[in-house]
Amino acid sequence: MKRFFLFIVVLTLLIPTAVYAQDTDPWSEVFQPDGNLKPDLINLGVTTDHPDWMSMDLPFGQSLDLDANYHRYQTPRGNIVVLPSASTLFFMAMNPQESGLASSYGSLGSGYGSLISFLGLAAGDNLDWGRIQAEHPEYTSPDQFWGAVLNGNQDVWTYFSGWGFITNLLQMTWNDGALRSTYLLYLNGTQNCTSIPGGCSGVVTPPPPPRECPDPSVVLQQPVLAIQKTAPNNPLVVGQDTETRRGADIQARVTVPPVIFTWHEPIYEVRDICRSARVGETPNCNTRSGSIFLDGVSDTKRVFKECRTHVERLPDAVASLQATGALDAASQVWISGQLSQSHYGAYIHQENFTLIPGIGSWTGGCGGGATCTATGQALRVPFADPGTFSLRLDVVTTGTRFRGIPITQPRRIGIDGTMQVYVTLPALVP
Amino acid sequence: MKEIPVSKRDLIVALVLAVVIAVGILVIENWPLPTEQGSVASTKEDSLPSAVAVSGVERVFQINFQENKETWLKRICEVSTITGCELLSAGADAMWEKYTDAKSVVSAAAQATQKVADNGTEQVWQMNITLSSPLPGSNKTQDTAYVVLMRTDSGWKFDRFLMGEEINALLARIKSSVPTVEEGKK
Repeated sequence: MKRFFLFIVVLTLLIPTAVYAQDTDPWSEVFQPDGNLKPDLINLGVTTDHPDWMSMDLPFGQSLDLDANYHRYQTPRGNIVVLPSASTLFFMAMNPQESGLASSYGSLGSGYGSLISFLGLAAGDNLDWGRIQAEHPEYTSPDQFWGAVLNGNQDVWTYFSGWGFITNLLQMTWNDGALRSTYLLYLNGTQNCTSIPGGCSGVVTPPPPPRECPDPSVVLQQPVLAIQKTAPNNPLVVGQDTETRRGADIQARVTVPPVIFTWHEPIYEVRDICRSARVGETPNCNTRSGSIFLDGVSDTKRVFKECRTHVERLPDAVASLQATGALDAASQVWISGQLSQSHYGAYIHQENFTLIPGIGSWTGGCGGGATCTATGQALRVPFADPGTFSLRLDVVTTGTRFRGIPITQPRRIGIDGTMQVYVTLPALVP
Repeated sequence: MKEIPVSKRDLIVALVLAVVIAVGILVIENWPLPTEQGSVASTKEDSLPSAVAVSGVERVFQINFQENKETWLKRICEVSTITGCELLSAGADAMWEKYTDAKSVVSAAAQATQKVADNGTEQVWQMNITLSSPLPGSNKTQDTAYVVLMRTDSGWKFDRFLMGEEINALLARIKSSVPTVEEGKK
C-alpha cells in the first residue's frame, strides 16, 4: 500500500508546475505552458551507467555494481534534461556531489521541491525524525533536513532507522522503469556532457540551432461514435419474446481519425567560404573580392536553406470503452403508475445495465492510415422492463506521441442513444 | 610492642572470608553481561534469524565457477527476500564474470556473532566469515560483515549486506546509546 501511495505521488510530481512555463526560465525551453514537454526536444532515450556511487560494497572487497538509469532529452539550445529512475535518484541524493546532482540547474531551482518530496516519500518512516529533532532542533520539518542533505550539510545515513526501504525502492524501479519523478536540467549539457549523468551517450553535437522554422501545429478531428440496438427489430421484455429470454443486442462503435501533426524541419546547406585567417594559419584565399593579398583561409559554413514541412498522421487509439443502459424516468413513472394500476403487481425489475465491459466486451485497433476504431457488443441483454432505455457510450483515447514526445493528451468523449423495449399486455375483449 | 592475640577460630573465619571474596570477584569479572543489542545468538528467539543470516552469507560466498550464475543465485534466493534476491541478481553479472575468469571455487563458514539492531521487522547481524580461499581482487580469507534480515510472511529472510555508510552510522549510534562502564558506576 505504501508503495502504491509513493507511486501515485511520484506520478503527481511528474506534472510540472506552471513556473516552468515562464519564458525567462531555462525550463521554458523544456515545457509547454500546459505542462507537456515541448515537441522540439530530442529524445535521447534511456542511458544506463555504472557509477561508483551506485556500487554496494560486500565483504572481501567484492562489490555489487548497480545500474544508474536516466531518460534524457536535449533542448534546442543544447541543455540536457535528465530524468533518473527512482533508485538512481535516491542514490544521487545520497551522493549529491559525486553524482552531479548538485551541479544541475534543477537541484538549485524549481526542481528542488519535487526532489525533496520524493526523498521524504522514499525514506518514509525509515527516517528517525524524533532523533533529528532532538539533535538538530534547527530543522522544523523533514523538508528542511532533506534540503540540508542535498546541500551536503547533513549525513542522512546517521538518521535512518530502517534498512528494507532501499531494496524496496530498487525493486520499484525494476518493476516500473517509467517511474521517474524529477526533471534535472543541465545547462549547456551538450558541451559538458562528460560531466552530466549518463555522459555523452546519444547527445547530439553540435546542438541544433535555434528554431528558424514555424512552430509545429496539431489538428484534431472529431471522433465518430454510435451506440444502438442491432437486434431484434422490436425487442420484447424477456419472458415474452419468442425465444427463451432472447433480450436485445447492443452495439457500440467509435472511429477516431488520426491527429494531424505538422512540423517543420530546418534544412541547411554547406557553403564554401573564405574566412579570416587565425594566428598560425596560412592564408590561401581572399576575404574581399578584388584584394591582391591572401588574407583568409578556405573553410565551409552551414547555412540555413529552407524549412521542410512534415505532416504526421498520429494514431489516437481507444484506451477504454464503456457502455451502459438505463430505463428513463418517464418509463419508470409509467411502470410504477399507469401499468401497475392496470396490471396489478407490475414493478421495475432492473433499471440499469452495465453493458460493456460487463455483459459484453470490446476490441479495437489502429489501421494503416492511423485511423483507430473500437467495437463492442453486448448480446442478449435481458431487458425485463418495457419502455425507453437511455444508452450511453463513453470512450477514452490514449493520446498521441511523436518520437516519444507527447503531442496530444488522452481525449474523453461520449454519446447518448435510445432504444425501446416492448411488452404485450393481455386485454379482455367483451 | 603490643601483642594482639588471634584465636584459631578467628583465623579460620578470616581465611574463609578471603576465599569467598576472591571467588566472588572472579565470578563477577567473568559473568556474561547482557548488552542492549544482545550478543551471540543465545536466546531461542534469536536462533532462527541468526541461522538465516549464517545460511544467507554462506550461500553468497559458496562459489564454484563450474556451476552457472543462475544456480548460484537460486541457492541464495531460497533464503532471501524477493527484493534481496533481485538486488543480488541485478549486480550479479559483473561478479560472476570475475569468478569465472578467476576459476573461483570457494566455500564459506559464517558465524552470527552479534545482533546489533532489531526493530521487530528487521534485524541487523554482525557476521564473521571465513573463506576456504581468497576471492578475486582480495587476499583475505576472514572478514566481518553486517547483514539485514527481514521478517516476511514465511519467516525471517536474508535481505542484503549493509553498505559502508550504514555500518558506520549504525555503529556510531550504538556507541552513543550504550553507557560506558564508568558512566554505569556513577
